[in-house]
This record gives sequence, structure tokens and C-alpha cells, in this order.
Amino acid sequence: MTIGTERYGSRADTAVFAVCLVLSLLILALPQALRLPLASALRRTVLLPVVTLERQAAFSREERQDVLALRAQRDSLALAAALLPALEAENDQLRALLRLGARVGSGYVDAEVLHQTGLSDGLTLLLSAGRREGVEPLAPVVAPAGLVGAILSVDAHTSVAMAWSHPDFRVSAMVEDGRIFGVVAARRGEAAGEVMELRGIAYRDSLPVGTPVVTSGLGGIFPRGVPIGTVQGALSETGGWERTYLLKPAVHPAEASHVMVLRLERAADTLTADFDTLPAPADSGPRP
Amino acid sequence: MRVPADRLKLAAALLILVAAHFVLRPRFAASRFAPDLVLVALLFLAIRTRPAVGAVAGFVVGLLTDAVVPTTFGAGAFALTIIGFAAGWLKAVVFADNLLVNALIVFAASWLRDVLQVAASNQLRGGALGLQLLVLSPAAALSTAVAALVALFVLRGWLAAAPSR
Repeated sequence: MTIGTERYGSRADTAVFAVCLVLSLLILALPQALRLPLASALRRTVLLPVVTLERQAAFSREERQDVLALRAQRDSLALAAALLPALEAENDQLRALLRLGARVGSGYVDAEVLHQTGLSDGLTLLLSAGRREGVEPLAPVVAPAGLVGAILSVDAHTSVAMAWSHPDFRVSAMVEDGRIFGVVAARRGEAAGEVMELRGIAYRDSLPVGTPVVTSGLGGIFPRGVPIGTVQGALSETGGWERTYLLKPAVHPAEASHVMVLRLERAADTLTADFDTLPAPADSGPRP
Repeated sequence: MRVPADRLKLAAALLILVAAHFVLRPRFAASRFAPDLVLVALLFLAIRTRPAVGAVAGFVVGLLTDAVVPTTFGAGAFALTIIGFAAGWLKAVVFADNLLVNALIVFAASWLRDVLQVAASNQLRGGALGLQLLVLSPAAALSTAVAALVALFVLRGWLAAAPSR
């Protein structure tokens, strides 16, 4: 590499640097309501080719994985065919997988997670589906194992989701049969996507380790019954009035690669049975 | 107006790096540690031009990368403006004709970018901050430095010619 020896760092350079620095600080200070449309406009225009390129690369990776998965399934089936008693069990598993997809039914959009190298990956996620595919702002984002987050902003073919690990994310939660309610948030100070807190549990209520925690359906955004995590232990007892519990998350946002964006019309539904976390209630249809 | 051939070669090399960033990165299983080829391209440009060009390029690249993670919109622009300017300024004091020196500069720039971005975005604290800056960021910086070495080797014919202004 050839490096020149000219005189650098002139006043003009410093002035340009100062202008850029001040501009970036001004942008940082902008309110969220201005930042999101500005970012959205950049994604729709200048960044459209690179986002498209990245989406195609993600599809390509997915297709390659599909081929590998199909090859593995073919091998498994060949082995099962050789071992007839095992074939029946294999069929049962495949039927169970098909039933899972059928249970969720309609009212959702599939999306790839286009992971970024930035520090915010895992706090916000860029998804490969947008307004044209039916994604709406605030729509819940779930993975097969449970809650991932909610849609923050939507473009024509992409959208940005705020993962539960984001410091501003909150979701109303409940445990067991809906008798105990609280609010789940990411635990500040811990690695993003590693642990979460269940706050606001009445002091009289005690939760054993391993208790599943799901969305309560309160708030009109998240359907009832989406797995959030499981209780790992008690954290604190604030003033003897309420307890806070540590939760092991059902989904680590930074590791999510394929998600479902639920339509807001499903906010009143109960999805407990779909995720096989808790025993399905007798009436799993829309709540009154 | 005729554009010098070495500038065209440099522009082509930078375009290849940016395209490779968006094509190759989704294929990495561990995206947290995937090399940031856009940062590599920015550094290659900055140390071959004036500090002002590095600062402006850093600001623009930072703004665009911020657009895909809008909750920290502006933090990347802030960090990369400083990195771009510093890389351009370093040109006056570092006569980097050595691959390892280049890799060291890329490693330091990548890590410093994360430090500045974390400070500007104010989204991590405590253990998460320590994990990010002491484990994840150095690991990502290492993969970026290795990618920069590979890019320097593969594109050496195009990157060797350095426009003076």
C-alpha cells in the first residue's frame, strides 16, 4: 500500500470533520418520531439495492439449508424404511409438525431475519417482509419457540422489529392458568437476549422454578398464550409488596433466523395450544 | 473530465467490498462475528484520501448503516465520522506498507467504532456492556481484520495505486 507524505489535517479538513460530527450529534438528538421516517426513507431509496441483495443472500442460504434438511430427511426416511418399527414413530413426528402449522392457520406472515453486524442486532431486527406482505406496525413477532418482539416500523418490503431484549420493550405476561399476571422486560446489565425479568408479581404469589410464562393478551397487541420464557428463580422482593423473577427466554432474538409476524387481527386470539406450552383451555377461540 | 485509472480501480475495489459485505454476511452462521467489509472499505478509502473525505464518507456510511437499526439512528454516523477522520489523519503519521500494520489498524478501528457507538447509543450497561466490548467486539474486530488482510491480498493490484488527493 502506498501512503503519501503530503500535509494532511488542514483547517478545511478539521472544519468538514466538525460539521459531520455536529450533524451526527443532531441526528442522535432527534426524537424517535423523526428518526424512524428518516431511516425508513433511506431504506426505501439509497439502501434498497443492498437490502434486496442481502434478502436474496438470505433466501439463498435458506434454500441451501432446505436442501440439506431435505437430504437429511431423505436419509432418515431411508433408515426408517429399513427399520419398520421406527417408521411409525417417524410418521407420528411428521404429522405433529404438520399439525403445528395447521394450528396457527392464517393471519401471519413469514419473514427472514436479516441480521446486521451492528451492536443493535438482537435489540432490533430487520425483517424481509413489509407492508406489501401484510406486516403492520406493532404486530407481534414470534418464532416457533415463542415471543421475539413487535414491529417497530414498516417499509414496502422490509420491516424493523423491536426484540424483547430491547430496553424499551415490555409485554404483559401471565403464568399457569392465568391467575398470576406481571410484566416482562429484558434484564438490564445482562447480555442482550440472555435473560429477562418478570416484574410486579404480588408478594403472596410464589412461582416455582420451571414455571412457563406466556403472554396474557392484555394490551391489545400480543395474543394470549405465546410462550415468553420459564422461571429460573426469584430476584428481589421490593418492599415486601411484590416479587421479581428471573426468566429464561423461550427465544434468543440474536439467534432467530426465521420468524412469523402475526396480524393485529389475531390480538384477541388465544394461541396457547399452538405453541404446546400450557394445557389448552376448553375455549381457545377469541376471548370476549 | 477524465478520471485517473487508479481512482477507478480503487472505486471498483471498494464497490466489490461493499457488495461482498451484503452478499456474504447473511451466509455466516454467527452473524455477531461476521466481518464488517463496509468498515474495511471505509478505512481503505480514508487512508488513501484526505481526512475530510474520510470524515464525510464515515458520516454517510454510518448514516446508511444506522438506517437498518433505527433505534440507534445517528450513533453509527457519529462513530464512523470519527473513525474516517482519524484514519485519514493517520495517513500522515503511519507509513503502513505492512500487512500486519494494516490489520492492526482495522482491528483497532473496528473495536473503537463499537466503543463510540455503544457510548452514543447508550443501550448497554453493566455485564452486557463488558461482554460486548471485551468479548464480542474484539472477536468481530478480529474477523474484520482478517477479512481486510484477505481483501488487501486479493485486491492488491487495485488497492496499491493510491490517489494522493
